Amino acid sequence: MPREAEPSLSERTFVTQALEEGLRVDGRKFDQFRSLELTFGDEYGVAEVKFGKTRVLAKVSAEVTVPYTDRPFDGVFTITSELSPMIAPSYEVNRPSMEEVLLSRLLEKTIRRSGALDTESLCLIAGQKCWSIRVDLHVLTHDGNLTDCACLAVVAALRHFRKPDSSIEGETLTIYTSAEREPVPLSWLHSPFCVTFSFFGEEGEQILVDTTWLEEQLRVSTCTYSINKHGELCQIAKFGGAALDAPLFIQCATGALNRSKELTDLVERKLADDAKRRDKGGFMAELTAENDR
Amino acid sequence: MASEAVFVLPGDQIDPSLIPSHPKKALRLGPGLRHVPPNDILPTLAGQLITDRQKNAIRVENAGGRYQPRAGELVIGTVHHSAAEVYYVNLSDYTTPALLPQLSFEGATKKTRPVLAAGALVYARVALANKHMDAELECVSSSTGKSEGLGPLTGGMLFSISLGMARRLMMPKSVLEGKIAVLEELASAGLQFETAAGRNGKFWVDSESVKTVIAVGRAVQETDEKRLDVDAQKKLVRKVIKELS
Amino acid sequence: MPLDTSTYSLALLRVDGRRWNELRRLHAQIRTQDAADGSSYLEMGHTKVMCIVTGPSEQQQQRRGQTSQRDAAAINVNVVIAGFSSVDRKKSGRNDKRIQEIEVTIANALASNLHTHLFPHSSITISLHVLSQDGSLLAALLNATTLALIDAGIPMTDYIAACTAGSTSTYAAGDDSADPLLDLNNQEEQELPFLTVATLGDSDRIAVLVCESRVQVTRLEGMLVVGVDGCKQVKQFLDQVVREKGAEMVREGAVEKSDAMGMVLDE
Repeated sequence: MPREAEPSLSERTFVTQALEEGLRVDGRKFDQFRSLELTFGDEYGVAEVKFGKTRVLAKVSAEVTVPYTDRPFDGVFTITSELSPMIAPSYEVNRPSMEEVLLSRLLEKTIRRSGALDTESLCLIAGQKCWSIRVDLHVLTHDGNLTDCACLAVVAALRHFRKPDSSIEGETLTIYTSAEREPVPLSWLHSPFCVTFSFFGEEGEQILVDTTWLEEQLRVSTCTYSINKHGELCQIAKFGGAALDAPLFIQCATGALNRSKELTDLVERKLADDAKRRDKGGFMAELTAENDR
Repeated sequence: MASEAVFVLPGDQIDPSLIPSHPKKALRLGPGLRHVPPNDILPTLAGQLITDRQKNAIRVENAGGRYQPRAGELVIGTVHHSAAEVYYVNLSDYTTPALLPQLSFEGATKKTRPVLAAGALVYARVALANKHMDAELECVSSSTGKSEGLGPLTGGMLFSISLGMARRLMMPKSVLEGKIAVLEELASAGLQFETAAGRNGKFWVDSESVKTVIAVGRAVQETDEKRLDVDAQKKLVRKVIKELS
Repeated sequence: MPLDTSTYSLALLRVDGRRWNELRRLHAQIRTQDAADGSSYLEMGHTKVMCIVTGPSEQQQQRRGQTSQRDAAAINVNVVIAGFSSVDRKKSGRNDKRIQEIEVTIANALASNLHTHLFPHSSITISLHVLSQDGSLLAALLNATTLALIDAGIPMTDYIAACTAGSTSTYAAGDDSADPLLDLNNQEEQELPFLTVATLGDSDRIAVLVCESRVQVTRLEGMLVVGVDGCKQVKQFLDQVVREKGAEMVREGAVEKSDAMGMVLDE
């Protein structure tokens, strides 16, 4: 399979030169993010996020399964990401690329291991039945900053998701359909968001956020922070690359915290909008004889 | 020229009145059309049907898709690596590279020929493009032996645009036929820059100032992405100039 | 396995009796394997790793999904974690994502440190074997790799020295009293937030920074400072190991004294 054309020499020198003059090729400032779009689907638990041309879709689903034997009181929570040939022909199905491995590890650390979702609340009958929550992440187009986009999509989809209500009477477990009882949201503890910084120049002195694919191919180093609005870091990932001065990391952490607060507000606002859209006036409205037809 | 734009879908019947009938010249089918013997012409692409009665030609205009080299077209490629006799040049992502013989530059001989490093840009003409074969490029006119503006592009910046936009930019009367006024407007606003457009959806801009290059490149890309008409392009240029000063 | 962290505040001693800024015992050897171009063995406390470097060799293995580097050497890293290395024997599959992540981290850290442009069309293969695990795994692997690469004589900018730094209380507990800790063992890693830092030589420049636990952002600075300081101690140690080996080789006549290129060997 022929590869993607790498950036030409002209592009390399031009981007570097422009950055030295404080300019980015798409006209943004160094610390300016691309316009962000978050939309929820008609179903619960579907979220689509666009960062410029990067586009990611996350879908949450739930089913009842048997818990792992070593964790009888915890539910099952998995995040699967798929980088398919839809992005570029070089990605193959069922053969995870390194990028995909790193992405899924990052999401795992950010969302699953940081305890964003209370997995104990997913337990129905200890050791026998529990909810299995699964997030399927599909990358639709890739134009840089995939991690931030993917993380936002997963968090938003999980926040939006409603699982069927259930009750236990004695030994019988009842799962209610959405017509019988209103589905309930997941027990959510905190919302971590990824913020990636890319470093350019000999010393890594130019710090860019929300890079495009072209910029990502030319950066000397990158560092991803996962942080929630309370200032709790969930993970930091700087996997090699050029060595950078230690104080830069503290500076970036502050930037990440601010961005995380912004994203938290955005998700809250969008969720509220969506709830308003769905709320047709409660039970009385549902009982009216009028309908769209 | 047909007064009204005709839109066709693959397999549509083409109105016989739109098919040019020149008394002497043979009918020429452009891209996106297929001749089904004995005498049916079917579109294979969705797009605008363009009829050229002078040349007795008919084609379907389509903005998207992957670039497929056709002989005679001007393209901007990136040198991938060089072999003994040829450079391997990438015209688009995920396609096999085209071949550019090292001797097909102006005045190139076995001893004096331009040395292009991997990643260098070249402006070239497609010399040979057959199915199932690697395309071949040239940077010199085979008849005159002159470069005619082709050759390595140094400096500047490469921007990606849609194939349709590239075609419109390269029309001889791009303002009238292609409805592209953005470059003329930018130039008349006092910006100095040099451009080259390749049919493979590449647009190269060079200028003394980095700001100008970014401004021109972004203006063209925005025109392309937002499908701006001439008036909107003029508005865009005014905005760009304002931001520059 | 809950760890009683409350004892720390009483005596200011950790579970293994160290103070907050003490490294564990470091021990390292280089040129342990005759068949390899470069090799090393490193212990950080009870974490024991071996590293074997092959290359730079001409034939380039074309690995899938890897961008072809024609003008610089490709770096391939393989990490094998022995089944007997930890308390409970775990069978880790070939495609363990955690191990792949470690491999990428090491390869990327080296790619910008080694002068790979001197070896076009070639590859450097690094295989790492983990014999025993007791915390600070990534740090130990990075240190062992640095030593083995020095043994192999591959030009590099400077030493990459790594260690871990943690904080004494979990995110849930009181914040202000938290002390930073240096070089965590496995028991501490299970319980406390920590990060792995790798710096370049004697500078404050950080090549690798990996944190996988939940921690208040305000504590990052303290942990980083302690970590960078620890890296400098590790670097001193690595340097000493290399110098001792060099001196030994001169003594044994394996290297002509003039070949040592004016290095100060006897101190």
